Amino acid sequence: MVEATKKRNKVFDYFCTDEQFSGGVAWCAGCPLELTARFVPKVLGKNMVFVGTPGCAAPVLHGQNIGAWHKLSYLSCVMTGVASSATGLSRYFRRTGQDATVVCFTGDGCATDIGFQTLSGAAERNEHIIYLAYDNEGYMNTGNQRSSATQKGAATTTTPVGKVGRGKPTASKNMQMVMLMHKPKYMATATLSHLEDFAKKLQKAKEKSKEGFVYLHVFSPCPVGWRIDSNMTIEVCRTAVRTNYFPLWEAEDGQPRFTLEVANPKPVTEFTKLMRKFSHLKEDGLAELQKQVDERYALLKTLVNAGAQK
Amino acid sequence: MKAKKGKVSVLTGNYTTAYAARLCRPEVIAAYPITPQSEVAEQLSSFVADGSLDAEIVEVEGENSAMNVCRAASLAGARVFTATSSYGLVYMYDTLLETAGFRAPVVMANVNRETPGIHAVSSGQQDMISTRDSGWIQIIVENNQEIIDQIIMSYRLAEDYDIQLPIMVNYDGYYLSYLSEAVEIPEQSDVDAFLAPLKKQPQRPRLIPGASTGCGTHGMEMGYVEARYKHWSALERAKQKVDDIDKEFGEYFGRSYGGQIEEYKTADAEIVILASGSAAGSVKTVIDAKRAEGIKVGLVKQRLFRPYPEERLIQALKGKKAVGVIDRSLCFGWKYGPMCMELKAIAPDIGSMPILSYIDGLANLDITIPHISRVVDEVNAAAKGKAYQDVTWIPME
Ligand SMILES: Cc1ncc(C[n+]2csc(CCOP(=O)(O)OP(=O)(O)O)c2C)c(N)n1
Ligand code: SF4
Ligand SMILES: [Mg+2]
Repeated sequence: MVEATKKRNKVFDYFCTDEQFSGGVAWCAGCPLELTARFVPKVLGKNMVFVGTPGCAAPVLHGQNIGAWHKLSYLSCVMTGVASSATGLSRYFRRTGQDATVVCFTGDGCATDIGFQTLSGAAERNEHIIYLAYDNEGYMNTGNQRSSATQKGAATTTTPVGKVGRGKPTASKNMQMVMLMHKPKYMATATLSHLEDFAKKLQKAKEKSKEGFVYLHVFSPCPVGWRIDSNMTIEVCRTAVRTNYFPLWEAEDGQPRFTLEVANPKPVTEFTKLMRKFSHLKEDGLAELQKQVDERYALLKTLVNAGAQK
Repeated sequence: MKAKKGKVSVLTGNYTTAYAARLCRPEVIAAYPITPQSEVAEQLSSFVADGSLDAEIVEVEGENSAMNVCRAASLAGARVFTATSSYGLVYMYDTLLETAGFRAPVVMANVNRETPGIHAVSSGQQDMISTRDSGWIQIIVENNQEIIDQIIMSYRLAEDYDIQLPIMVNYDGYYLSYLSEAVEIPEQSDVDAFLAPLKKQPQRPRLIPGASTGCGTHGMEMGYVEARYKHWSALERAKQKVDDIDKEFGEYFGRSYGGQIEEYKTADAEIVILASGSAAGSVKTVIDAKRAEGIKVGLVKQRLFRPYPEERLIQALKGKKAVGVIDRSLCFGWKYGPMCMELKAIAPDIGSMPILSYIDGLANLDITIPHISRVVDEVNAAAKGKAYQDVTWIPME
């Protein structure tokens, strides 16, 4: 028996709780958001409370179609009020001794742009919440407009490619670094292609949220907006990791460490070729993206090695 | 049963507010400082620091967050309190609407101040007026004693099972926020006793972890309409409740304010001045003087701004010969002041009479005794059939 448990793929150990979602929820075919939303409560348990906002997650989390839904408690918020609403809940639950894991579940647009003030404030106050930002690099729910998480050169509906337009003219906000500098109790990057890594991070997040603020940055490509074939999303996640476009790491009290170091990272073109949002980029554009990937990775590595903010 | 006589202290409006909140035992507080409200936030933090108030206090990074903290905690079942003013009030506008839409019984003090536009760090009611249609109950008080008493009454109203709505208690920035007055602070045990009936009600719906409860489901079609209808109906019910709670408060504490409106010498009055907030005190002084001259004038102090005290106003004003309305804010794009404009909407029910609109007291300009005296004289002349000016900007004359 003991043998059998050991042999089983470890990911199964994390699937400890019931499925919290019904079938038929309204996300696009192939969207990793659905798998992420289903996976998170499986690890965190049914006492997690979803605190969400307008975005692609909202119609499901907040019941636009209540025929297909979930069983979790939830609170919907305006885009400017997610981390602060979670603060109100968590303060009261803790005061009254109610066991809860309060999880903000928002897109990159909310986290990096309009909801950033409250996210930063909650992190600074070390509120006992988990803030999970699923990063699909744009405002997808409103039709694939740029956000500050959109990559340089990416074509979106507000940074279109035309006679003059060459996609988004500026680089994405390095949100992971911004949050690292807040020195949260715990933070991590995660994506669905590395499920066990993701699960471990969620478990740690739950534990650490009892001490204070936790930030999770989840890479979540958008098949519709990025123009990816719907059977390729997990492959896109995997390639993002293998090219160091999206490195997997975590940090406790501001000290980062890699949870996966890619031995021979592939060129970023392996990643960009899987989608059409970069298809107009010429060699120089791609070289620039590669340069950014390398620079950001080098910065991270320096911090890992330096025992930064110790 | 009557309450014991409370201790009398000399307090500013802002300190009064903090004392009032403490007496009501809020469990979660969040506030962001702004002139002329800052002492409220400071004093509440001091109470928590000195152990005299056992509350979670969140020093938020903006008013939008203050309201979200309060809204969420309230929806989880907490008693909450916040205070703001002007720029702060409009900065939380999105959540203000959401708090009301979600029926979270938040109690908030709003220290009236002019709004952004021309940067004005000065008194005026434009902030409250600009959030009129947010779905909140809005009450305006006249003095520091009324601040403390109204905040206590507001918890009874907001958390009433039949109401469940947020309440904004408005008082004039500068005039009251920094004015020191003698205030009787009720005993804690008496406030506890006055709020005790709330404990006997069914528990209001709340967000419970692990219990499949949600707040803020996407409102679609009939679901939306039904929620709006219930919200609207609760506001209608709140009117009578304001009167009832005020009466009960009066019987217990010995002070009452008339509920939705306070009437001063209106019974035999031929003409009436409609005013609100701290200016109402000066109007009373002028009324006494004018009555000595033989002018039968009375005051209606509008306490309840939302929901609109329609029935009480009709009762008070029906059959009068003329009304003058003093507004401390503007209704851009409409020539009358906001309170005058609203009174005009019920004009058919109060009967045909001249309704004169006066704009005064903007940006810390005092509504002086001579100003009010002039209003009374003009309204009196209009009642006698003299031609009158529809709208008068008193400071521009
Ligand atoms: C205050 C406000 N401004 C604009 C919107 C419209 N809006 C709805 S969803 C959305 C985009 C959200 O982007 P993100 O957070 O990245 O989530 P995604 O849609 O990508 O899942 C926007 C701008 C809104 N709901 N509220
Ligand atoms: S638009 Fe993109 S992110 Fe949104 S549900 Fe569809 S695939 Fe997912
Ligand atoms: Mg997005």
